[in-house]
Amino acid sequence: MSVIAAQPEQFGPQAAERLANFRLIPRIDTYPRVVAFAQTPLGKIVVLALFGVGLHYAKASWWPLIPWLLLITLLPERRRILVTVATLFFTFMLPLYSLPQSLYDMIFSASAIGLGAILFWAASVWPRSWYGKRPVLFLLTGYTAFILLATRIPSASSYRVHVWQFATVLSTYVWFIGYSLLDRKSPSCDPLRLQLGVYRPFWGSTQTPLPKGAAYLRRIEARDPEQLAVVQLKGLKLLLWSILISLFSQLFNRCVHDFFGVPSFTRALAISTGHSPLPWYMCWATLIAGFFEAIFYVSIYGHRFVAICRMAGFNALRNTYRPLSSRTVAEFFNRYYFYFKELLVDFFFYPVFLRYFKKSGKLRLVAAIFAAACFGNAYYHFFRDLDFIQKLGVMRALAGYQVSLFYCAVLAAAISISNLRRRDPAPKGFLRGQLWPSMCVGFFYCLLFVFSGTEQRIYPLTVHFRFFLRLFNLNW
Amino acid sequence: MDQLTEVREFLKKLLASKGDKQPFTDASSLFISGRLASVDAVELVVLLENKFGIDFADIGFEESQIDTIEAIQSLVQAAKSPQ
Repeated sequence: MSVIAAQPEQFGPQAAERLANFRLIPRIDTYPRVVAFAQTPLGKIVVLALFGVGLHYAKASWWPLIPWLLLITLLPERRRILVTVATLFFTFMLPLYSLPQSLYDMIFSASAIGLGAILFWAASVWPRSWYGKRPVLFLLTGYTAFILLATRIPSASSYRVHVWQFATVLSTYVWFIGYSLLDRKSPSCDPLRLQLGVYRPFWGSTQTPLPKGAAYLRRIEARDPEQLAVVQLKGLKLLLWSILISLFSQLFNRCVHDFFGVPSFTRALAISTGHSPLPWYMCWATLIAGFFEAIFYVSIYGHRFVAICRMAGFNALRNTYRPLSSRTVAEFFNRYYFYFKELLVDFFFYPVFLRYFKKSGKLRLVAAIFAAACFGNAYYHFFRDLDFIQKLGVMRALAGYQVSLFYCAVLAAAISISNLRRRDPAPKGFLRGQLWPSMCVGFFYCLLFVFSGTEQRIYPLTVHFRFFLRLFNLNW
Repeated sequence: MDQLTEVREFLKKLLASKGDKQPFTDASSLFISGRLASVDAVELVVLLENKFGIDFADIGFEESQIDTIEAIQSLVQAAKSPQ
């Protein structure tokens, strides 16, 4: 949350230090008096009340969350089981407000959770069986096979809509179930009742589990009242930070799109297919604006989820942490969407790295990076957006996926190169040591955004390349 | 000399290369705290494989096993003890 407004080299050491330590939001979690107050009953209520106000301002539904957070705060020894109860409440009780459609969805949610429970139980009962040794491989293979079979159901069949509805719900649970199965190998593995608490936890999550699974929660849980107070204060700060980014994002949008008339990236791509494409400088403007908007977007919702998780007493790392200060391509990938990167690492990188090409260090690393950033990344997104597969069938959906496949391959290659380069000590000085490498990394990801900036999958790779060349005033 | 001295030195260098100047003890969390990333875990895994013959493909891997020097010590002892 620091703000670097100028180059510290231009100042004396004290001024540079003051600047580096400046925080837009004060570090209240390090103030002993505030931490002591946050441990008192009144302090807990004040912190939760402020958090509720923040959620209300952030247009999040605060009223069902705050009672659960209060309960979890007051009963820290029952925290984990309360997380499970709260999650089940948010999954099955809260949607009752929107009957009758939600009842239909809830049956599928219950089926998906039930499937996860059976897989977890089976892996625990038969750990030495083929399934018990590779439960995650079984899960992902089975899920893939199920989707492929679903595409074979005739359009006229009455089952088709139900099967695809279940597939859609299952797709939102598959990585959560996967984390449970990964945890099963741990000697301190949580029982099923606690695993259920992180199947789309009540603090919110995308299809990427935030923050990972039960094993991670076990490690980051606050152990005493002081830790809880610190974590909750950090949660409050993070929510405020999310609100500030949201406000800045709105201002940015109005300024760029309304005032300067810069079209959205998706619109610019559409224009580039016509006979009168945008001038090159406008292409840059749309690209840079789209790139920043993507960072704002992922920061706002990620910070909010993690903030609520912290209020529940778990010291989760931020999902997005200063991506623009990254000095390497790999570092940006780590900082931009941390929990998605962790998913790729846990499910694709480590299984390859720990098993294959052990004799060849570089090949081993590159193979694991391609397994994660290329194959895993492509697999995740292809089977996340089931609408395309449902409408187009597998082969046409794959053909429409060419831009994403290209993006994943380039990303994996860049991360491989980034990791293979020798770990030189960073050059000294702000300009050469920080600003220049960060700008190069930002420039690379900005260019790569040409191939990831839209999820509509309307245009072939050639259209994206045409836009790319247009950035350099080249026509194709 | 402690058998984990090389690991400590390696981790110190790794932290320094990332500009991390915070104190580092045997109980300090490295990965769960976010001080080191998964990519750094890879280098540590290779070091532990080479130096202590640990095969993570056999015993299973999770970052908590290498999160602190103390955890690494337990891991090394478990790997050396007869099955």
